Amino acid sequence: MRQNSITVVVPIVQGKVWELLLRLAEINKEIDRGTASEFEQLGVVHFARWLVIDHGKSYIDDPTKRHPKLVFVVDFDGNLAEFVAKFCSESSNTIDSVFCFCEGYPSAENRNPQNRTSYLQRNLVKDAAVYIGAPGRTVKQIKQERELRDAIRSFLDSKSWVGVSAKSIHQQVKSHVLADSRFDFLNKSTVSLPKINIPGLVLVGLILILLLPLIIVWLLIVHFFYEVKDKNFTMKRSGLDSAYMTELESYEDFKYQNQFSQLVDMKTGWVRLATIKAMFLLSRGLIKTVFVQGKLMGIPTIHFAKWVMFEDNSRVLFFSNFDGSWQQYLGDFIDNSGWGLTGIFSNTKVFPKTNFLLTGGAYDEEHFLAWSRNSQVVTQAWYAAYPDLSIKNVNNNTKIRSLLMQSLSERQAKKFLKLI
Amino acid sequence: MNVLELEDIQGYVVRGYAHMMYSRFAYMKITDPRAFRKWLSLSWPDFTTAQHVPDKSKINDTHLNIGFTHAGLKKLGMKAQNLAAFSREFREGMVSPHRTRILGDSDSSAPENWIWGGPKTDEIHLCLMVFGRDKGHKDDLERDKAVCIRYFEQLESRFPDMGVEVVYSLDGATQPDNKEHFGFRDGISQPIIEGSGRVGSKDDVVKAGEFIYGYRNEFGVYPDTPLLTENQGNMNLLSTDAEGSGKKDFGRNGTMMVMRQLQQDVEGFWTFLNEKTKNADGSINEAESLKLGAKIMGRWQSGAPITLFPEKDPGVISDINDFGYAKFDSDGLKCPFGSHLRRTNPRDSVDDHGVKESLKLSNQHRIIRRARLYGEIFEGSPTNRKPKGEVGLLFTCFNADISRQFEFLQYTWGNLPKIKELYNDPDPIIGVKENPKPGEEQNFTIQDVPVNRTISGLQRFITVRGGAYFFFPSISAIRYLGTI
Repeated sequence: MRQNSITVVVPIVQGKVWELLLRLAEINKEIDRGTASEFEQLGVVHFARWLVIDHGKSYIDDPTKRHPKLVFVVDFDGNLAEFVAKFCSESSNTIDSVFCFCEGYPSAENRNPQNRTSYLQRNLVKDAAVYIGAPGRTVKQIKQERELRDAIRSFLDSKSWVGVSAKSIHQQVKSHVLADSRFDFLNKSTVSLPKINIPGLVLVGLILILLLPLIIVWLLIVHFFYEVKDKNFTMKRSGLDSAYMTELESYEDFKYQNQFSQLVDMKTGWVRLATIKAMFLLSRGLIKTVFVQGKLMGIPTIHFAKWVMFEDNSRVLFFSNFDGSWQQYLGDFIDNSGWGLTGIFSNTKVFPKTNFLLTGGAYDEEHFLAWSRNSQVVTQAWYAAYPDLSIKNVNNNTKIRSLLMQSLSERQAKKFLKLI
Repeated sequence: MNVLELEDIQGYVVRGYAHMMYSRFAYMKITDPRAFRKWLSLSWPDFTTAQHVPDKSKINDTHLNIGFTHAGLKKLGMKAQNLAAFSREFREGMVSPHRTRILGDSDSSAPENWIWGGPKTDEIHLCLMVFGRDKGHKDDLERDKAVCIRYFEQLESRFPDMGVEVVYSLDGATQPDNKEHFGFRDGISQPIIEGSGRVGSKDDVVKAGEFIYGYRNEFGVYPDTPLLTENQGNMNLLSTDAEGSGKKDFGRNGTMMVMRQLQQDVEGFWTFLNEKTKNADGSINEAESLKLGAKIMGRWQSGAPITLFPEKDPGVISDINDFGYAKFDSDGLKCPFGSHLRRTNPRDSVDDHGVKESLKLSNQHRIIRRARLYGEIFEGSPTNRKPKGEVGLLFTCFNADISRQFEFLQYTWGNLPKIKELYNDPDPIIGVKENPKPGEEQNFTIQDVPVNRTISGLQRFITVRGGAYFFFPSISAIRYLGTI
């Protein structure tokens, strides 16, 4: 089944920011205690987050007076319209308790699933690019496959296998789990892992080659007419606002997974806008064809990530749900995908100095780390459906399941056993 | 390549002083900043530098180094803006809610239980590090101790005049074969600082900026060094920022020093291994217990890497360090992915990256380790498990970026349970939780054929007893501090 996501951005009623923040803090506590049952009950939500932006805490050198807004992001299984409708009828308590602080939300006596749905639909922001680390895997499937892997692991640990052939072990594992009614799903459906789309990749490559002269001219224009005049980000981590860093950290490293939300403003002018749009187009192409096996530009730790543009393409929000520590995540970005990040984010205001959209920027480690932290916004409430699993675990579990149900040669069976 | 200004760098970051078997680390507070500044302005030439002394007989029989906490620099009188120039990790110190969480300092290891450096003990301002050696005798701990203590007592007699008081002190020893209390040879693999004049395998040569401020790091940029923004003291003693900001660089030729007193539960460690490998009749299977220990550590007790000697300890003390995992051990069949050494220095095999990329990534997370033993000198084994009293390691390491180096190793590669394809495997030595959450597994997976084996129910054998982050200044920065 396909995964989709929504991003809702709505203005907060004047004077209600504080109350809303308190409510989000409550939700976050409920999630931590495992009592945020509405997300859990829906059974299709992978990740969800609420955050408040523009409430006087803009860290992007921004002279504009902004109106505080609530941002709500959900990654889920299935059709968008169906999800929103279901969410608005089954999780109405959660929704009402948050959106009642936002402008234009139906008043308490008039609320019904229909007007909640149309409220959310009305305030949806379009995705610029979405990456999924385990495309096609539903929450249900991920949880089932986790249980399957754990059961196989305990079965293998339950006795000695010295001298038994891999093929025979594979067979025994199979009969063992198939006898367990928890794993009836194995007989009902088969899975296959997404493959890299070679023709699609070739097509993307060909288009890039065809456009190469244009791209080169473009890079020259961007460099000589824009980059040299850019106002660059020159702070190091030691210079960042300490209290704000402490606030960000107070939401991090409680689970194996972590969240990252980032807000930046576009540089002015159509050249920058066209550049970032082209980068998003390229990202979407590569995400569809190449980044389908758990790695985004070489980064092996992202479950769901996405970019959206809002307020007439003048601002960019980036959201990520990732494994492990911030330092590892950002380090991976620098090592593996500096070019991609630089290509996208150098079109936003006050980024570390770049050249020809390719060098500098994210490769400028210290300034890039400081920039990332500086443009990060607090995620006041964050839900993760399977916080104990890495994206590698998720993909590995599907591989285990898929190989389990096939008939394997001795060599293949050895490979299968290595996964567990 | 830059040549390091060795005469301005305190010696302990470049050299381990292994021949000085005895040392005393005095954690102190400053009671009279003026008196202490005066002492620094006179005594700065007494601190041992990293300068190479070709004629061994000319090496002093005592060494002296110093590190300051952020609170110490404040107490000494550094101005607020200059104090703010340091990295957040150093400014906050080792104890903050978030830092405690990522370092895994909970339960018995929680800072509230620390005997120094914690919230319930006196504030630490500096660490005076005193080393000694009897030059007439080789590898004689008792004689080295006498020299060290004599020198310390000489200094101690002046503490009242210097305006300092000892809050806590810990004596650290080394051993000729460098075995820690669990019985494993330690400190074999060390990065070599580029430009330090030391030689070794080229994979171990790491850019100076990873360990010393004022030089470029592995990313080709300058580390986040404390640049002074407020005029104070004799600024002419300091160099200007190598990156060209024009500011004075207080950090240049200095670095950050992490210290943690780690108590080792030798009895628990070997009892656990014996239990997991016991014979059918319940008796100890010494060979298997040693082998499991080697799998968990990544080297045999002799220091021989298990990747090269998968079956049995070759026995002779080994310094073999020129090896990788990618070519002969990519599946972890010899050295498991989860072993302490493979995790903390994965060499040429980081996740599923190629050799070149892996070496690059590994070298972005190196530290220079300087462990010293405290308590009774004891060599643990399956049958020798009960030291007298508390024993442990005074873990010390140097790095320019505490967050990307020490904390990354402890948290990302140590405490988090998902290295490579693993699921529930924290670092078996430094990453195990004393009290896991209900239902939370803590395993050590031994990659094997036909199936991997799980050592379940890992226990924690290390207790953090104290710790702090110190700035380890250059000689000229020490001299400068005397003038503020």
